[in-house]
Order: sequence, then C-alpha cells, then structure tokens
Amino acid sequence: MQQIKFRYTIILAAIILIAATSCQKVINIKVNNAAPQLVIEGNLTDVLGPQFVSITKSVPFTSTNVFPTVSGAIVTITDSIGDVYNLTEGPAGIYATYPLKGLYGETYTLTVKTGGKIYTASSTMPYPVPLDSLTDKKQILSNNNLYTITVNYQDPPNIANQYRFILYVNSQQAGTIFTNDDSFTNGRYVREDLFETGSDIHLKDTATVEMQCIDENVYKYWFSLSQQQNNGPGGGITPSNPPSNFNNDALGYFSAHTTQTMSIIVH
Amino acid sequence: MLKLYNLFPLFNKPLFKILLSILFLLSAIPSFAQKRFTISGNVKDAATGEVLIGATIRIQELSQNGAASNSYGFYSLSAPAGDYTIQISYIGYESVSRKVSLHKDLVLDMALNPKSDLSEVVISANKPNNDNVRSAQMGVEKLNMTQINNVPVLLGERDILKTISLIPGVKSASEGNTGFYVRGGASDQNLILLDEATVYNASHLFGFFSTFNSDAIKDVSLYKGGMPAQYGGRLSSVLDIKMDEGNNKEYVMEGGIGLISSRLKIEGPIVQDKGSFMISARRTYIDAFLKLSSDTTVKGSQLYFYDLNAKANYHFDDKNAIYLSGYFGKDVLGLKSTFGTNWGNSTGTLRFNHLFNSKLFSNTSLIYSNYNYVIQSYLPGNNFTAVSQITDLDLKEDFQYYINSNHSLKFGIDALHHSLAPGSLTSDNNSSFNDETIQRRYGLETAAYISDEWQVNSKLNILYGARFSGILIFGPGTFSTYDANGNIVTSKTYNSGQVVKDYFYLEPRLSASYSLSDQTSVKASYNRNTQNIHILSNSSSSTPTDLYAMSSNNIKPEIADQVSTGYFRNFDENVFEFSTEVYYKWLQNQIDYKDGAQLILNQNVESQLVYGTGRAYGIEFYMKKKYGRFNGWLGYTLSRTERKFAAINDGNYFPATQDRTHDISAVGIYQLTKRWSFSGTFVYGTGNAVTYPNGKYAIGDMTTFYYSERNGEREPSNNRLDIGATLEGKPHKKYHSSWTFGIYNVYNHRNPYTITFRDSKTNPGTTEAVETSLFGRVPSVTWNFKF
Repeated sequence: MQQIKFRYTIILAAIILIAATSCQKVINIKVNNAAPQLVIEGNLTDVLGPQFVSITKSVPFTSTNVFPTVSGAIVTITDSIGDVYNLTEGPAGIYATYPLKGLYGETYTLTVKTGGKIYTASSTMPYPVPLDSLTDKKQILSNNNLYTITVNYQDPPNIANQYRFILYVNSQQAGTIFTNDDSFTNGRYVREDLFETGSDIHLKDTATVEMQCIDENVYKYWFSLSQQQNNGPGGGITPSNPPSNFNNDALGYFSAHTTQTMSIIVH
Repeated sequence: MLKLYNLFPLFNKPLFKILLSILFLLSAIPSFAQKRFTISGNVKDAATGEVLIGATIRIQELSQNGAASNSYGFYSLSAPAGDYTIQISYIGYESVSRKVSLHKDLVLDMALNPKSDLSEVVISANKPNNDNVRSAQMGVEKLNMTQINNVPVLLGERDILKTISLIPGVKSASEGNTGFYVRGGASDQNLILLDEATVYNASHLFGFFSTFNSDAIKDVSLYKGGMPAQYGGRLSSVLDIKMDEGNNKEYVMEGGIGLISSRLKIEGPIVQDKGSFMISARRTYIDAFLKLSSDTTVKGSQLYFYDLNAKANYHFDDKNAIYLSGYFGKDVLGLKSTFGTNWGNSTGTLRFNHLFNSKLFSNTSLIYSNYNYVIQSYLPGNNFTAVSQITDLDLKEDFQYYINSNHSLKFGIDALHHSLAPGSLTSDNNSSFNDETIQRRYGLETAAYISDEWQVNSKLNILYGARFSGILIFGPGTFSTYDANGNIVTSKTYNSGQVVKDYFYLEPRLSASYSLSDQTSVKASYNRNTQNIHILSNSSSSTPTDLYAMSSNNIKPEIADQVSTGYFRNFDENVFEFSTEVYYKWLQNQIDYKDGAQLILNQNVESQLVYGTGRAYGIEFYMKKKYGRFNGWLGYTLSRTERKFAAINDGNYFPATQDRTHDISAVGIYQLTKRWSFSGTFVYGTGNAVTYPNGKYAIGDMTTFYYSERNGEREPSNNRLDIGATLEGKPHKKYHSSWTFGIYNVYNHRNPYTITFRDSKTNPGTTEAVETSLFGRVPSVTWNFKF
C-alpha cells in the first residue's frame, strides 16, 4: 500500500517534471564515525535443516565494505517448553544448529553472549500461508520490454498476517525489500507486484521468489528498512535504525518464519 | 451534530468575564474635556475603486494623530474641534492633502491616484512615512504587490510564497518541496488565509508553484512574531492574503501567456461605484509537452493544475457592504491507465461590513474551507480509490472600535468547526484491497479576543491584548489510549455531540514601541499561540498527501511562546528602512514519530506518535528601500531551531531539519527607463540539517546504514542568482502589453534536493553519497496583456 502510494506518485512526478534539467553527482561528505556496533541476523525456518545465525560488526562509513565477523560467541535457541539448541561456529561469524525445523505457533528465543554482554530476541513462527503462483507482466513505466513479477496468494481472514518476499533474478538477489501485511488486504486474494528498479527483468529470465510468513516485530523491522530505501527523489522517511527485536542495542533481527520458493521463466 | 450548550463553558469561565468587563470599561471612557469629533471614511484607488489597505491618514497639525485604513479601506480618527490638514498616503500612489474644518463628525472618503512614474524623484508631498518605526506592531512584513510582480522566479510565474521566502526569518523548503518555515517553525505552523479562509495546501505540483494567482491578489501581510490578537490557530506565522475586489468603474480584462501556464482575469462593475466583481483563472499546460513524447506511457499521462479566484462585492450604502469570495484549485497527476491522483483546496467567504457609527466598524464572516486529495489505482487486481479531506466551517464576528486618538480597540469572537475524514479506501471484489474507512473526527475551535492599541504619549505606543482560545473535540467516534509499544490500553466510544476532550488556553498578545527619535525606535513583544491542527508526516519533505490530525485525548495542542525585541531606524527621510529583531521561541507538545511508524490509513495512527519540546532563536537584519528608481532589500538571518524528544537522539536536543544557520537574501529592482525595468535576486543559505550514516553494516548482502545522531550533519549550502527584465509595451489607448523575461539560476549552481547513499559502481566495495539536484539554468518568457 505504502509502496504503491509513494513509488508511483513520486516516480511519476520525478520522471516527468524533472527529466529536463535535473542531475545527480557524487559528492564528498564528512561524517562522524560511531563505534562498531554488533549486528546479529538470526533465521529459523520451517524447513528441516541447519538454522543459521550470523554475527558481524559495523564499520565506519568511509571504510570498504568488509564487515568483520564475530567469533567465539555463545549462541543458543530456546523454545517455550524449555528445549535448548546450541549453535556451533562454522565459517567465521556463522553459527549453525544441527538439522531442525521450527514449529508453527511456537515462540523461539535467540540468545547471543559475546563481548561480555547478553543479547536476546524472541520471534513466533507464524502458520504458513501458501504462495499460489508467480505471474509476470510488462512493466508499466517502461517501454524497454522489462517485466514485473507478481506474487499471488490468498490472505487468511481471521488472523493478522505479515509477509516478506525476496526476489532473485537469474539467481541474483534483487536489492529491494518487499514486505506486506494484511491491514489493507485481510481475507483477500492478493496480487502484489514486486516492483523492482534495480534489476532489469527481460524475456526468458528466470525469476525466483521466496515467500516468508513473518511475525509482527520482524515485519516492523523489514518494513522500516524498506521505507529507508525510498530515500530517492521526492524525499524519504527520516533516516533511523530499523526497530530490532534484540535488546541491548544490537542491530539486526531474529526471524522465525515459514518459507516457500517458486520460480518462473518470463514469457 | 454539535450541541450549542457545549459552548457555554467558554462563556462561564471567569477569565472571559473579565475580558468582557474590560471591554465595557474601555468603551465607557468619557471623552476628555475638549469636545472631540471624528473624521472617518474609506480610502480607494481613484482609477479602479479598489479599497486601499493600510493607507496612512495623518493630521498634519497633530503630529501623533494618525490612523491606518483597515482591510476594507475604512479609517477613523478623532481630534478636538479645529481646522486641520489631512494627509493620506499609500505606497505607489500620489499622496493627497485635504483641508477640513472640524466642528462635527465628518465623513471624508479619499481616492488616490496611482503614481504615474515609479522612478520619480521623491518630492516632499510624497514623503514616505515612518510608520514602521512608530507602530507597536513587530515582526510584520507587508508586501507590495508591485514588488512581488517584479521579483524574478522559476519559469516566470510570479509567486507570493517564493517572494516571502526572501524576507529574513522566512526560509523556503528546498526546490521541489512545499511549505515555508518562519523563525524555525514547521511548515504546518503557518496560517495561510485567503480572504479569511484557511488554505491548507498552498502549493501546486510539489511546491514548484503556489496556489496564489498574483493577478487576483491585492494585499499580502506576513506576521512572523507579535501576532495580533485577531489571529490564532497556528504557532509560527500568519500569511494574510486579500483578493482584489474588482474594478468598480469599468470593465478590464488582463492576462498573460507563458511557457508553461497562462492566466486570465476579468473584472468590472456590477453597479458602477457600488459593486464589482472579479474572476481570475490560471492553468498550466505542461502536459501538452508530454504528448510530444515517444514513450506511450508518458504520452497518455496528465499533469496540470488550475486555479480559479472569484469575488463580488456590493455596497448598499455608506454603512453596509457585502462581499462574497471564493477560490477553487486542483492539481491532477495521472499516469496513463494505471494510476492517478488529484488534490485541491476550495474556499468560500461571505462577509458583511456594518458601520454602527463613525467609530465602530463591524465585520461578520461566514467561511468555508475544504482540502481533499484522491489517489486512484486502475491496475487490474490492485485497483482502489483512496480519499482524504478536511472541511472547515467558520463564523467570525470582528469589531474595530476607534475610541479616540489614544485608544483603538479590536475585539471579536470566532467559532470554527473542523470535520476531518483522514482516509477512506474503496475497491471492488476483484481487488487485493478491502474497503476501509478511518473514522471521521470533529472539533470546534472557539476564540474570543480583545486588544487595544494605546498611544501612551508621543514616544510610547503599546499594543496589548489577549486571545482566549480553546477546542472541543466531539464524537461520534471511538477514542483510544496507547502504551509505549503502541498497543491499545483503553477505548471508549462516544455518541454524536458528546465532548471527548477540551482544551482552553489564554494567549497574551503584547507589544510596544518606544520612539527614540522621529526615525528611530526600539520595540519588544511577547505572545503565546496554540495550534490544534497538525500535519503528521515522517517524511523529510512535505507532500500533498500528508495526513491532517486534530488535537485529541492523546495529542495535546501545540503551544509556542515567543519574545522578541528590535531596533528600527530609518534613513534619508524614511526612504531607507533598517530593522533588526532578536527572537526566542519556546515550543511545547511538538510531534514526532516512532521508528517504522505506519501513518497511512491507520485507525490507531496516534499510537505511532512521540511528543517533545523545541526552541528557536535568532537575529534578523533587514535593510529596505521602497521608493525611487532603485528599490529592493537585503536581509540576513542567523538562527537556530532545535527539538528535544525523550524517544529520539537519546533525549538530547537536535537541530530540526529546517534549521539554517545563515540565510542571506538580496533583491533589487531597477527602473532603467519608462519601459525597461530589471530585477535580480540572490539567495544563500546553510544547508538543511540532515541525518547522515555514522557507520554501515550488512544485512544479508545489502549494505545497511547505521545512524546515531539525528540531523547531526548539514547538506551542502545552497545559493542561487535569478535575474529578470520587464519591457512595458508602447502606450496604447485600448490595451496595454508587456513582456517579462527571466533566467532562473543564472550561474547554474546545483542545489541539493536529496542526498542518498549507495554502493559505488566506480569504486566497488565502498559507499558513496549521491546528490540529486533539480534545476539548472532555466530561462522563461511571458507575454502579459491588459484591455
């Protein structure tokens, strides 16, 4: 909803009005560098397999994009009935469980002990909503034979649902974050366009979409991050850090979500 | 829907009773020993019959006896019996002197002729006055329409809002953004009135143009501080715009054809010298250029706006007159058969003037104002229509009582009913979207004010008064309270007319001026303002689809207290005016948003808000020359505006986005010959406060930015030079024409519109900052005509 409103209005105005004389250029800016912050990404899916948690640190803005990993952390996942799953470090900064899968409706808590501090986050695995199909159509704002992928699914009427979609074009992940909740679409059959400006989708390309059902806190996180991506012409949301479900100022998220992947070849 | 007995609490408050008593006391002040008589009447333009607002009427023999004509051209003076010379002057017009013998109340209507030649050397009869020094009113700027029409602007469109941003203390939002900021206030803290009706969105097309067609405008006043008691409802400024009445002597048609828009105005008498009408319209045709595009989507798109101003008046006799004015405007954006949006204001004002006697003038106004926007999607499977609007109905009664030469009283009451429909979404069965309507909200803002302009002695002038204002929020509706996480704690449903919450405030309005000499004075003022209509937007720029909200059980009215003091000095017999003002403003109940706030179509939008305080302070310098072949002004402001929220920036003060440390503006208009005039403006401003990343990290493969300071950095500064020229056509009996040329941004400086961050393509593995700017050098040409 937000996406449609902001993107189309702003892009339209931007293209038509500004095309004539506007320009973009790279500028040098001076920024104050904060101390390195801890970043934890934890994912627990409903597909049997090892579940991963990655722990890294932030770097100054002017550095290269090499993000230091954090080794030697003690990472555990617990559920509401007292099961404890220990994660062991594999490649540096990546911690994995032995093969397991998350149960629907269960609340899991991720605990990370590192640098003398304990960080915890909880997430509830939603019940799965199936992704019906993927369809493609010509992109409306372009004449260059580019395509847009649409996800089709039936939103369950009686509960609040939140979704995240990850788009891959020819195995390359598209940069845009796609989220949706059902505040406007509750109970409806939803056809949502994954409107992507970063990666071009041409005829015969393979488009793959992973659909995740996520809980409310994880939705707020991805939604907030996607709002920051709208910081193009037309102004965007005041920049801020997305609300993490971790305590103690850790950046990142812990998401217990369902996952389903589908592919189509654009025709 | 609204029960009148709810108004009674207002009248029962002891404070209100005190105000009424003061009123009666003052009106009972007996005339002094010497019998005094009044001279009153109307001041008009001799050629068109338009009333002149703020003309100065002075009695030459009694140097401190002076008055100004009010918004309807009415003035009233009193003096002891005797023979006097009355002098009337108004900028741009030939001054008039009239000898009178005052032995009873006199009605003296004056008609002034426009100055035949603006470049004429100043002769003694036309000497400019020192009102700016003597008046107790501070923080006010009255704009001269001739100057507005000569200031060069983007694409040749004369623009009131762009011109007021050249005044010290007023900052415009960056190119492409709507709104302006006065003394550090937010853009929703400005009360913009067109013939007393509130205009909610005063800009077209994302801020490129304002909704005011300067053909239809007669008078513009901006109050930055020291707001007189008759105004209320917004914290930072009042922009009071009055439309032309219409020529009541002959029919006139004038207009202009420009590169992207054209305008036409028709005016004339309804009954000669008694009534007239004026209709003025403007439309852009940018979309005509779109049709030339080869891209089919762009070709089938719409992009235009139009304005219509209309006014009619009729004077029954010397004592009664009726006025009807209206404005209707719309912006339309449509992207072929996929998407469309439109928004617009419509206002209507019905006013009745009545003169009880030569001292008591009354105006009764009934005002309607509506702002709405519509967003439509035609995408199959994703179609919807979303509508949002705010509607006001206002009844005002204003009195001006010119008691004697030392006291001039203004008092009145105001009842303003708001109806907000924050959003409704409708679609069909095939759409992904459900129908959804956010509950409407209703409120009644009430106010009673009284103020006296007291000329204590020849040096001291005091303007003192108060506005007692409040708001009653009514049902029907469900009102909830929330916890820190945004969950509903309590919820109560109210019936139609039930009062949910009320707020009442006393707003003192005080200012004084002390003349150190005929050309020098110092002034000081204090005023308090409250505000009940708030724009909720967590975007860094304002858009036409921003959400309006009213004070409620969660949102308290915003409050501002401003003190200011200034030094005023005229030079060269008042040809040059210099002033400097220092101000400090305390702001309470300011609104900001939680991270990831969902404001759109959210019934519980108030759960997404956080509250805090603010402060703004600064010093303004202003040098003006209003007369002579060369005129213009130079302004400099040094200021700071900050906010403090417990939930943001660790509760520390941070600069508001509109904080601009240095702001310089220079405007010059030069009348070279009778036909050629040239103008130029130069602006320089420190960049907006902006939040830059203080670090970066990866989420998945995506470079994500870490922010630790809100608005801790500055965008690059912006500066720009615009020049213009006007060529008046050869004088012709039947018609008059002129050409206006302009170049916007002469040296092509790219001013920042947004700054975004991305992974560098040229230097992989690093992040870069990209500045987008909108306008380079843009020339324009317009042909104007008048029949």
